[in-house]
Amino acid sequence: MSEIAAKEPTAVAAKAPAKAAARPRRRLIASRLVPYLLLQALIVIATILGLRLLQPNDPDDFALSGFSLRQDGVTLPVTLPHFTASRYSLDDPPLYTGNFTFRRGEAATGWSVYLPRFSNAVEVAVDGVVVLDSRRDANANRPDRNTPQIAAIPASLLREGANEITVRLFVWGPLKGFLDTVYVGPDAALRPAYETRTLLFVTLPVVFSAWQSILAVILAIMWLMRRREPVYGVLATAMVLGVVQAYVPPPVPPAATSRLAAVLLASAPTESALVVMFGVLFFGWRWPRYGMLLFVPGLVVFVVGLIGGPPLPRILFLVIGIPTVGLCLLLMAWVTATAVVRRQDAASFTIGCAVTIVLVCWIQDMLTVIDIVNTDRIFVSRLSYSAMLVAIGAGLTWRFARALNQVDSFAGQLVTRVREAEERLKASFVREEERARAAALANERTRLMRDLHDGLGGQLVSIVALSERGHEGATITDAARAALKDLRLVIDSMDDIGGDLMLALGSWRERASAQLRPHDITLEWRVATVQGLPLHPELRPWHVIQIVRILDEAVTNAVKHAQARHITVTIETLDASEGPCGLISVTDDGRGFAPAGHGETGRTGQTGRGLRNMRNRAARCGAVLDLSSDASGTRVRLQLPQRFPDSDAATG
Amino acid sequence: MTEQGETGDIITILLVEDDAPTCWRLQDALVKAGYEVRSAGTLGEARSALAAGAPRVLLTDLRLPDGHGIELIREMRQRFPDTEIMVISALGDEESVISAITVGATGYLLKDAFPTDIATTVRDLVAGHSPISASIARFIVRRTQGAAQNSAEPPPGPTLNTARLTPREIDILWGIAKGFSYAEIASHLGLSKQTVPGHIKNIYRKLEVHTRSEAVFEAVQQGLIKL
Repeated sequence: MSEIAAKEPTAVAAKAPAKAAARPRRRLIASRLVPYLLLQALIVIATILGLRLLQPNDPDDFALSGFSLRQDGVTLPVTLPHFTASRYSLDDPPLYTGNFTFRRGEAATGWSVYLPRFSNAVEVAVDGVVVLDSRRDANANRPDRNTPQIAAIPASLLREGANEITVRLFVWGPLKGFLDTVYVGPDAALRPAYETRTLLFVTLPVVFSAWQSILAVILAIMWLMRRREPVYGVLATAMVLGVVQAYVPPPVPPAATSRLAAVLLASAPTESALVVMFGVLFFGWRWPRYGMLLFVPGLVVFVVGLIGGPPLPRILFLVIGIPTVGLCLLLMAWVTATAVVRRQDAASFTIGCAVTIVLVCWIQDMLTVIDIVNTDRIFVSRLSYSAMLVAIGAGLTWRFARALNQVDSFAGQLVTRVREAEERLKASFVREEERARAAALANERTRLMRDLHDGLGGQLVSIVALSERGHEGATITDAARAALKDLRLVIDSMDDIGGDLMLALGSWRERASAQLRPHDITLEWRVATVQGLPLHPELRPWHVIQIVRILDEAVTNAVKHAQARHITVTIETLDASEGPCGLISVTDDGRGFAPAGHGETGRTGQTGRGLRNMRNRAARCGAVLDLSSDASGTRVRLQLPQRFPDSDAATG
Repeated sequence: MTEQGETGDIITILLVEDDAPTCWRLQDALVKAGYEVRSAGTLGEARSALAAGAPRVLLTDLRLPDGHGIELIREMRQRFPDTEIMVISALGDEESVISAITVGATGYLLKDAFPTDIATTVRDLVAGHSPISASIARFIVRRTQGAAQNSAEPPPGPTLNTARLTPREIDILWGIAKGFSYAEIASHLGLSKQTVPGHIKNIYRKLEVHTRSEAVFEAVQQGLIKL
C-alpha cells in the first residue's frame, strides 16, 4: 500500500506540501486497510475450515485399501490412496490388483464398485471382466473435476467368497497419477456417497456454468447497448470462455484433436487475465497498455497447443498457465484492496472477499498438486471461481437495475428541479415586474417634476416676484391663471387617452376658449373628419404636454403680440406615402411678425424665445413645425410624426 | 338687475365655500348678476341656512372644515329635490366632479372661472342646461368602454354605473370629449342644437345613484347580482 501512497503525490514541484499531507494520508490508508486485512484473514480461516469440514464422507466399511501394484514390470504392495509417477505414455498402465470377499446370503441387493477419485482415467475389472471404463466419459477424466465413478458388478460375475478386482490407472502427464481408496460393497451402501460427490463435483459446476452462460448473455447485451462501458463486455467474455471450458468435453488421449485441447487449456489463464481487466475497469481505473502482457501466457499456451502435439500444451499449462492464474488472483486482490481503501463501498468489499476465497482455494489446490497437503486430490479453485463469477455477474446486474432506478428518480428530481426553477423564475419575474413598475413610477415622477418645473413652478415664482414688487391686478392674475392652466394641463396629460390625441385636444379647446373669451377673441375649431387624427398607441403623456404647449404658445402669441381677433384651429389627416399622419394648424388674423427676428426689436427677444421653444418641443416629439407670418396673419403648422419617439432624445 | 326663474321669483343661491377670498369672488360675480346669495363657510352653517328655506341653487365646495360637501349634496337631494346642485372645484377633475354627480349634482363650477362665465353657468343650470367638460365626458365614456370590455379589475377613480346610458348619449359624450361644440355634435348626430344640453342633464341624472335599493336594482340590471 505504501506504493500507492508514494505514487499518488504526482506533482513533483509540490513536494514539500505533499510530504506534509502524506502523513495523515498514510494514517487514513492504514485505518482503512487494517480492518480490511483482518477481515480477509478471517475469511481465509473460514475458507480453510470450510474446506476441511465439507470433505465428503465415504462408507469406510466397504473400503479396499490393500492392493498390489504392477508397474514397469515390478510388483509391490501399496495402500490406497496412492500416487504414481507422472507418465506420458498410455501403454502398459499401472495395474492395481486387490481382493474382496462376497457373501451372497448377506443381502439380496446387487453389488457395486465405487471409485470416489482418480486421475486421470481408470479401467476396472472384476474377476477379469471389465465393468467400468471411465475413458468413455470424457468429463470424468478431467483432472480439474473431481468426478466419482460407480459401476454395478453383474451378479453372475461374483463368486461366493474371494473375488479379484483389478484397476488399470491411465495417467497423462504432467500431473501424477492418483487412485483413491476403492469401495466394493452393496450398491445401496455405496450409492449415497457417490450421489453426494456427484452433486458437489458434477451437478454444481454445471449449475454454475448455466448461470454463467445466462449472465454472459445479459452482460453482453448490456455491453452492446452501452459500448462505452467495456467492463460488461470484458466480464461477458470471461464468462463465455468459462462456459465453453466447462461444457466442451476435452479429448481423451490418445485422440488427436489437440487443437481443441489447446483452446481449453488456454482458457484458464485468459479468463483470469480478463477478470483482472474487469476489476481494473470496474473500479474506474484506466487499463494500462502493458496490462495486455497478462494475456501473453494464455496466448502462448494456445499457440503451442495449435503447433505442438500433446503433452507439450499440458506441460506448458502447468508451468505458465497455473502461475498466471495465481498472479492474476494476487493482482485482483491488490486491485480490490486499493479500491477498498479509496472507495470504502460495498462492491469493493464484496469482490475483495470473493477474491480472497478463490485465492485460498487456488493455494490449497497448488499445495495439493505438489503433495504438501493431502486432501484426497480434490480441486476446488475452478468451482470457487465459477461461484465468484456468478456472484460478480449478479452484482453487476443488480447495479444495472439500481442505475435504472436512479434514472427514474433522477427523472423525478428533474421534474422537481424544473418546478423549482419555474418558481424561481416566476419570483424573479415578479421582482422584475416590480422593479420595472418602480422604474416607470420614478420616470413618471421625473417627468412630472420637469413638467411642473417648466410651467407651474416658474409661473408661481413669477407671481411671487410680481406681488413683491407691488404689481396690481392684471399681471398677477394672468400669471396665476397661466399657472392654474398649466396645472390642469399636467393633470390632464396623465389621463389615459388610449392614443387618441383628439381627447387631449378637446380639453385644450375648452381651456383655450375660456382663456380667449374675456379677450373677445373667437376660437374656431375645424375638424376635417369625425375621427380627426389618426390613433397613436405609442402616444405618451409627455408627447401630449409638448403638443399642447406648442398650441398654447401659438394662441398666446396670437393674442399678445399679433392682436388677432379670430383664431382658427384646423385638424386634419394627411395621407402621406408611409400612411396617414396628423396635421394641426393654428391660424390667426393678426398683424403677424417677422419670423427671422426683423421688425419691432422690442418684442423680438421674447417672441424669438417662444418660437425656439416651440421648435424644440416639436423636435422632441418628432413633429415638424412650420411657421409663416405676414401682415395678414400668422400660420403655425404642426405636422405630427407617423410614430411618436419612445424616448425623449432631445432632453439633454 | 336681478335674475329671475321661470316663476318670476328671484333666484336664491346657497354658496358653501370655506376659503374666504374664493367665497367673496364667487359671491361678487353672482350678486352682480342679480342673484340672491347666502353664503356659508361650514356644513353646520349651511344646514342652519337651510332651516330658513330651500334655495333654488346650491353651490358647494367638497372639502369643508366640518365635513364633506358630498353629505350636503345627498341631504339636499332628499329634502329638496327641486334644488339644482353644482359642485365648486378648483381643477374640475373627475374625482371630485363625478363623485358629486353620483350623489345628485348636475353641474360643476371652476373656482377660477371668469365672473361672466360663473353667472352664465348658473343661469344655464337653472334653465336645465348642465355644463360638462371634455375631461368629464372622457372619463364617463372610458368607463362605458371599460364596462363593455368586462375587465376583471375595476378602473381607478370613483365607481360609476354607466349601464343606463343610451348609445346616443354616449355618442354625445364622445363628441364633447373630442372638443366638438354642441352645434357640431348636433349636426353630426342629426339632432337639434338645443336638445344637446338637455341630454347632458339626463346623463347626469342617469349616473346618480339615489338609494341603496336603487343601487341593488341596477346591480341586478347589469347582471352583477343574481337573484
